[in-house]
Amino acid sequence: MLRTSLFLISLLLSSVFCLENINEEFEEYLSIKSLRDGRVTSSFSFTTLLRDAIPRDPRTLAFDDDTSQHYTLFPLSLGQILRQYAITELHLTLNAGKWNYDTWGYPDEPDVGVGAELRAWMAGDSISSIDERWQGVRNALAGLFCASLGSLDEQRTTSPRLSFPPEGALPDWGLPHELRHASHASEHVCTENLTPFLKLLPCKSLSGLATLLNPHRIFDADWHGIGLHVLWRPEGVEVRLNVQLVFDPLRISAQGKQDWSFHSLFDRKVEKACPVASSTRVSVELPNSGVYRVYPEPQEIRDGKAYYSLKNNNEAWNIGTMWPTDFEYRICHAALSSPDPALVPFSVTRNLLGPTQDRGQLSIVLTNNQQDTLQLLYLETMPWIVQFYLHTIRVHSDNVPRDDLISNISYVLPVPHARPATFESVLTLPGRSTLTFTMDVAKAFLRYTEHPPDAQRGWDLPPAIFTPLNQSLNGSMSLGSRVYTPSLLVDLATPDFSMPYNVIIFTCSVMAFIFGSVFNVLTRKFIVVRVRPDPPRNQSVGTEKRLEDTDSDTLNELNTSKSGVH
Amino acid sequence: MHWLSCRETITLCIVLRVLFALGLDFYLSPPTSYAYSVDNGDKVVEFINNGPGLLSASSPLTLYANLKESLWLYQRGMDPYGSGIGQVGSPLYLAFSFFPTIAESGPSKTQLLSKLFGIFLWTAPDAFSAWFLVRIWKARASTSTKSSSSSITFVLPLIYLLSPYVILSSLARSTSVWENAILLGAIAWACESESEFKTKPELNNSNSKSKSLLFLALRVHLSLDALILLPPLILLLLGSPESRLTEPGPFGLYLRSTILRAALNVLFEFMVYWTALALISTLIVGHWRWMSTTWGTSLSLPSMTPNPGLWWYFFTEMFDHFRPFFLVVFNVHLLMYVAPICIKFQHDPLYALFILVGILATFKSYPTLSDHGLFIAFWGIFPEVYPYLRHPFPTTLVLIHSALLQPLFAHLWLSHGTGNANFYYASTLVGACAGGMAIVDAVWAGLRIALEKHGKGELKLVEGEEREIVTQQ
Repeated sequence: MLRTSLFLISLLLSSVFCLENINEEFEEYLSIKSLRDGRVTSSFSFTTLLRDAIPRDPRTLAFDDDTSQHYTLFPLSLGQILRQYAITELHLTLNAGKWNYDTWGYPDEPDVGVGAELRAWMAGDSISSIDERWQGVRNALAGLFCASLGSLDEQRTTSPRLSFPPEGALPDWGLPHELRHASHASEHVCTENLTPFLKLLPCKSLSGLATLLNPHRIFDADWHGIGLHVLWRPEGVEVRLNVQLVFDPLRISAQGKQDWSFHSLFDRKVEKACPVASSTRVSVELPNSGVYRVYPEPQEIRDGKAYYSLKNNNEAWNIGTMWPTDFEYRICHAALSSPDPALVPFSVTRNLLGPTQDRGQLSIVLTNNQQDTLQLLYLETMPWIVQFYLHTIRVHSDNVPRDDLISNISYVLPVPHARPATFESVLTLPGRSTLTFTMDVAKAFLRYTEHPPDAQRGWDLPPAIFTPLNQSLNGSMSLGSRVYTPSLLVDLATPDFSMPYNVIIFTCSVMAFIFGSVFNVLTRKFIVVRVRPDPPRNQSVGTEKRLEDTDSDTLNELNTSKSGVH
Repeated sequence: MHWLSCRETITLCIVLRVLFALGLDFYLSPPTSYAYSVDNGDKVVEFINNGPGLLSASSPLTLYANLKESLWLYQRGMDPYGSGIGQVGSPLYLAFSFFPTIAESGPSKTQLLSKLFGIFLWTAPDAFSAWFLVRIWKARASTSTKSSSSSITFVLPLIYLLSPYVILSSLARSTSVWENAILLGAIAWACESESEFKTKPELNNSNSKSKSLLFLALRVHLSLDALILLPPLILLLLGSPESRLTEPGPFGLYLRSTILRAALNVLFEFMVYWTALALISTLIVGHWRWMSTTWGTSLSLPSMTPNPGLWWYFFTEMFDHFRPFFLVVFNVHLLMYVAPICIKFQHDPLYALFILVGILATFKSYPTLSDHGLFIAFWGIFPEVYPYLRHPFPTTLVLIHSALLQPLFAHLWLSHGTGNANFYYASTLVGACAGGMAIVDAVWAGLRIALEKHGKGELKLVEGEEREIVTQQ
């Protein structure tokens, strides 16, 4: 009896473990690409799929059903946050640097805006419950990632209508889903963010591709960013952790060669694969032309990419590419011969013009690199400190005024000290043209407590986001991949931080002085005093003689008159 | 004859002003080939707001760019009064959308005409203001035969229309120009209502009285601070605009029992107009939140944009936990002057109104140059107090000092980058001192004149005695 029951229990347990192993799936993938300017971009993604899981229905938040959360691979600390705040979809990115679309092309992960960016899709029957949960998830993630996400408060939170469609699916609960988006351009990403990030991985950085995530090299890269993406698909909840880096081998190498290898880029090799990963793959995009050597010999070459599977191999992996010659900058002769085809359909420059600290002009120059007309969704999420003047919007196409090229303007006005502005519109770029968009802005004057510690440096404004609108054959619109502009630095007028007391004292003194003088005159009795000319001792004092009110009664008898009494 | 000369003066000044504005526009416009960027005289507005009128010519509640923005948003179905940024005084300003030259921007076929129309829209209120000033003066001087009104009717339009304060505000297209005209209209009709009452005592509710109350309600609607002018205006409606500074005494053209009822009647009529205007505004924008974004703005100061007043830097530098307290203090401070001044000058409510206009120009939350311009122009109506001013010359010098330094220091701070906020703050502080000196002197002279006129007659009789006015200062 005991034996059978033990057997049954062990059977049950093993079946549970088997189930869990089937329910959770972990994959690693690294894609490496040599860029046009000799740099190398590498994009890690660590995907955990929790099969048949669905996000928590926010209506169950009221009942505190404390069902236990058992995960083997799925990060528990993240799961708890997602569960507590009933988040359907979540994207958090922490990036540093400016993604150079013109020479690097589109990134593998589209969210490359500088600083911290957080957005979440949440279902809810009331706005207030969504805002509360949004605040909670901000603070929880701030604690989890040691990032100042708490500063992504109401002053930075927007809900753009179109630019951020859900990447996964939204469960049909009969509740509306709301988007909350916030970005903070001056947030820096550093080691203290990477360490908690690595902790979310099942193998940490002990084995598998995560071995390569050497903080000394990551934060030395020209561009680096880490991201967390949680989304729901009908097959389950997917958590994708990604790290994107742009290295410059020319900077590292002594000979000016663009050769790279795991060892040269990360100062590490992949010694062993992560045992719980269902797949560990590396892809190397092969250069279009020239003589080069990819090593070790790829297991598979498909679509111009060499693929490696790092599973089931006992030797250390050091994948790399070698060129026999030095790197030549193609830009030098690009002007002479045929230039390289553009990597992106359009390029953007955004500037804040104007020399003064009280007003300026926002200028955006868009160049369409294609023959076809391009429609772009343009999104600005601007803190209230920069106020747009929409009536001054001017659109020029190749220096010809074309106000018809801007359409579908939607604008959520900012609220001082509370809410940023959200400006969305559609810009139409004729083929092979340059479009200039200008708009006057007013810069706010802030209270001295609202300025950041280094106030003279200015404020980082969040990047603008452009999304191409692709019209498919059946007439429906689909969104292309987002393009983030670099952030802007706005120079606001500062008060003198050293003298709050002085200002309070000066102003109060002037007001008190005027107030006192006015009431002094108002409460005064005007009387004529007759001074006899004879007494010489009174004469000297008499010209400016002080009188008390008690004296006035006696003086009345001297046939004097008073104002206010008839 | 006098009337004609006054009209001629106004016409002449207006022609000069229009020509000046046109000339400035012509001077600032780029060559004709690239006419696209020129929007109906906006170059002049930009020049004034970045040049001599930087920070001072318009406040956020009267800024022309904010007016245009509000119109633009409103015409596209967006709500400019829902958020509390970039809106002008009241939703009633949306009526400007009937004038296409302001609402629309961009190239226009009849550029010169629309330019002229724009200039006209911001010069006409000044002409009205000058005309109202002359009417106030006429109502005040109607009984006093001694005063030579001819020179005053000539000078009054001059000091209003050619005052740099008013010209700058008008060129910057600040809506305060309209607010001044409306306030002066209210005062002018209030002055005239009494005289009608006198000639036709059977009329209890005169036409002028209603006009006056309607205009004041409109002025209070456009910017809430004018509420402190309501008590003296009621006194003025019930009393007389004549110069009675020399004969102080208790307010009383009526019996005590009737005066209260009459005052309540007037107050009720004012409230009716005010409520009606608020309702119209609510109908225009479709919600009640406009009150907190327009009236609330002048009470709670959400925008710290510098202006010639005292509030902005004080609340910029204020510690957060004291801000609500000092907001109450500053608002109550404005109210505190009303009762004492109205009581002390109950024999001459117009004078009380004049002093409160000065207090408003000095102490309100978002003053502009045109408020000071109004206060200065008002001085022209009370020539009888000039001999009793104690320090007119230092006051004038301090005022000029501040007026010249304000644009300079604003530039050094914001454009040139060689100064800091303290520079502009210092110049506004000096401006407040000038305003304060003028107010104190006006109060002094208004009270002192009574004694002098009275004393003189009696004192002349007594020979061999010197007389001395003894004060505590």
